[in-house]
Amino acid sequence: MSAVATAVRNVTVRGNRRTRAGAAILATLILIALLAPVLAPHDPNAIDPNRILAGPDLSHPFGSDALGRDVFSRVLFAYRVSLAVAIGSVLLALAVGIPLGLLAGYYGGPIDSLLMRPVDLLLALPALLLALSLISVIGPGTWVALFAIAVIYLPIMARVVRSSVLRVVNEDYVAGAGARGVTRMGVMVRHVLPNSLGPSLVQASVLMGFAIQIEAALSFLGLGAQPPTPSLGLMLADGYQVLQQAPWADIFPGLAIAIAVLAFILIGDGMRAHFDPHGVSR
Amino acid sequence: MSAPLLALDGVSVDFGPVSAVCDVSLEVSEGEIFGLVGESGCGKTTLAMAVMGLLPATAAVRGAIRFEGDDVLTRSEADRRKLRGDRISMVFQDPRAALDPAFPVGEQVAETIRAHRSVTRRAAREEAIRLLGEVGIPAAAERYRDPPHRLSGGMQQRVVIATALANEPSLLIADEPTTALDVTIQAQILGLIRELRDRHRTTVVLIAHDLGVVAELCDRAGVLYAGQLMEVAPVERIFAAPQHPYTKALLAALPTRAAARGALPVAAGGVPDLADAPPGCRFAPRCPVRMDACAEVPPPVLSEPGHATSCWYAAQRGAPA
Amino acid sequence: MSAAATPLIQARALSRHFRIGGGLLRRSAVLRAVDDVDLDVERGQVLALVGESGSGKTTLGRCLLGMLQPTTGSVHFDGEDIAATDGGRRAAFRRRVQPIFQNPYSSLDPRWPVERTVREPLDAFRVGNPPDRRRRVAELLDSVGLSQRHAQSRPHELSGGQRQRVAIAAALALNPDLIIADEPVSALDVLVQAQILNLICELQRDLGLTLVFITHDMAVVEHIADRVAVMYLGRIVESGPADEVLTRPKHPYTRTVLAAIPQPDPGRRRDVAVVRGEIPSPLAPPPGCHFHPRCPLAVDRCRTEPPEMTAFTHDHLASCHVTAQELRPKGA
Repeated sequence: MSAVATAVRNVTVRGNRRTRAGAAILATLILIALLAPVLAPHDPNAIDPNRILAGPDLSHPFGSDALGRDVFSRVLFAYRVSLAVAIGSVLLALAVGIPLGLLAGYYGGPIDSLLMRPVDLLLALPALLLALSLISVIGPGTWVALFAIAVIYLPIMARVVRSSVLRVVNEDYVAGAGARGVTRMGVMVRHVLPNSLGPSLVQASVLMGFAIQIEAALSFLGLGAQPPTPSLGLMLADGYQVLQQAPWADIFPGLAIAIAVLAFILIGDGMRAHFDPHGVSR
Repeated sequence: MSAPLLALDGVSVDFGPVSAVCDVSLEVSEGEIFGLVGESGCGKTTLAMAVMGLLPATAAVRGAIRFEGDDVLTRSEADRRKLRGDRISMVFQDPRAALDPAFPVGEQVAETIRAHRSVTRRAAREEAIRLLGEVGIPAAAERYRDPPHRLSGGMQQRVVIATALANEPSLLIADEPTTALDVTIQAQILGLIRELRDRHRTTVVLIAHDLGVVAELCDRAGVLYAGQLMEVAPVERIFAAPQHPYTKALLAALPTRAAARGALPVAAGGVPDLADAPPGCRFAPRCPVRMDACAEVPPPVLSEPGHATSCWYAAQRGAPA
Repeated sequence: MSAAATPLIQARALSRHFRIGGGLLRRSAVLRAVDDVDLDVERGQVLALVGESGSGKTTLGRCLLGMLQPTTGSVHFDGEDIAATDGGRRAAFRRRVQPIFQNPYSSLDPRWPVERTVREPLDAFRVGNPPDRRRRVAELLDSVGLSQRHAQSRPHELSGGQRQRVAIAAALALNPDLIIADEPVSALDVLVQAQILNLICELQRDLGLTLVFITHDMAVVEHIADRVAVMYLGRIVESGPADEVLTRPKHPYTRTVLAAIPQPDPGRRRDVAVVRGEIPSPLAPPPGCHFHPRCPLAVDRCRTEPPEMTAFTHDHLASCHVTAQELRPKGA
């Protein structure tokens, strides 16, 4: 094995460590979100007039917010919304974007134009305005936020998949499979698709990280999750009002967001090292 | 005999557990064209990078590399940078990788000139145009402004050579300079290299896997396998009277020298894993005349004037004819 | 050679053009990758298709494989025009003509174990039942010199030579009549190249395969080919029996290429001037004879009139105005 191959192997092993670390963090957060009813020491919506803006103590590790609600419990439940929206929106964007990008890149020509023009149109519209428009039509809410983010991400995923497909389609093994009798559909599904997914998965994990922040922004503006559903963005919005007196009401939800984003970025970075150790396609 | 321009003394290069180059010693005299031959993974590029001081920080280099008497391995990076492009130059295999696609080719030659000599921009430009003409680029003054993609592969390689020779280096290392080119263009570039060597007395180390190229252009050659130097000799002797079993195997496996349509005689198997190489001769597992000692003990270097072979079998047979 | 037998594969006046660039405001240029080519390959023969960049040899190979439609002209396989065939006969054609590609790193799906790649053609054509196919794969791996323990390996775990063996095994899976190999050994080291060449020769002999071997390396041609066709900028400039063309070339381009090859023999160093000039872009080939700007023998006629194919012997042809004169009796 040449010296270069060994160096590459080292990069990918380190990359895999990053993926594992990120995956471990994410798995923990998902577990926390799922087990929130069990783990939360208090009802997240329970208003306690005695504990308004109370500081952190043993029974309320993250303190209490302006309505006396336990911040810790609210963070645990808020993860449900944030993670669901982040993962759900990207999965939805993938579900539609992958077939679009695959067909456009594989068949090319008029089909490519037909499929990609609407996608490009979507891409051309400013993301946040797009989200706001959708929400103003449909009305605010968690699911709407998920859908809006998916719409924003759809053209990105479609384009990433398409450019990956364009590269793979020229490889000899694709031509070879065709020459050995495999149908075009077969070639597309069995050879082109699996080999094109790499960059889109990397992109997906990074976008999940951003999705958490977009959801938080939308909720901050009152357009995402609606009270009393706890959402990290809502908590940021509420906590912002009382930043001076009770900083913990803002800090902990903010940290929660940061940890989740970190997990997604680590996963994405590690996957990128795995798929593209030479850093060529950057 | 005057001191050699370049002398490698017991050079080894390791990348972690991988032993890319193992105890290589050779000398290159001033004005000669020295060929470094071997298949992929044999360490020839690593060796060239070691001479240029371009190995990554993860590489562990042992031994001495003496250029003009001075061990470059003991010099600082700043000193080595002064040498590069000025006293020692390198030409790589793929000219597209060596040329910046955003800049006119003439500018890139001029930039090398200005990096090592304090001359005016205009003087550098004129010198660059002259160099482009010397390497055979027609209408050099007009082509000066062309970006690399406007030039064919052969023309690009000529520009790279012009850049390499801009400051009249004593040593030019050419790493497979013609491998990416068509055969008719290859012949032109090889001719150019020889012409430039004759005119400027530049010493050339030519790295190649094509034995024809080595026979065509080189005065002496060293044969590398899996990081070890197997044989060094004047080119006529390498081809007419090879001593090392690996050299013999390489020559026998060439299609032109084999009986037409018969099977080409070739050693079975492949190159060893460099992370786990045997202590002795690395060709031993595939060698048709392997002896017990071969894999365990590094072979002695059997040498007569100008011709050195690292092989137990050859040593045992006594001095070569 | 029996005159009655149809050549296994035949190209007639085959051209393949590409439109490059162009758009709303610009006219596109025409790339004549393959320009009016006639080619015959007899059963059991090995034909080497030789040329440098821009010669069109890869495009011609793909046309012969049926992977590209000709712009004009035809390809006949075993007497039948491959363009005129419907789905069923197309499939039958696919089974009998298989490719081997140049790049051992991109010719195998990097995610598939070797065994699955070799089995793919058998699966695609539903040959036998699954146990039969697995047996056949084991047989094939064996015949190309790969041990069974490599069956589950992925391409990146194998060396370049081993990957080419896999590509060869996959090409043989359907027992094709004709294999079109595009530079199968060019990316390999000297010793590995020899191993793979030996393998290909052996298989060709044992299985009676017809082989079109695309290469730029004349030394390989010398070793493996019965006949040679030399291409330059989309046209065949010379064709004939291999030893004839290599020892008595009739086209100046062939002579130049042969002279330019570095010989592994220091005693035969050339001082003769090598060919001048660059290979022109296939988008703008010189008029008349494409080679005339670089040709040491060029005369005025070469600039304006594309030369015809002249038969120097019954099966050695070359297209050159000047060397064709050699055939004229003196004084004519």
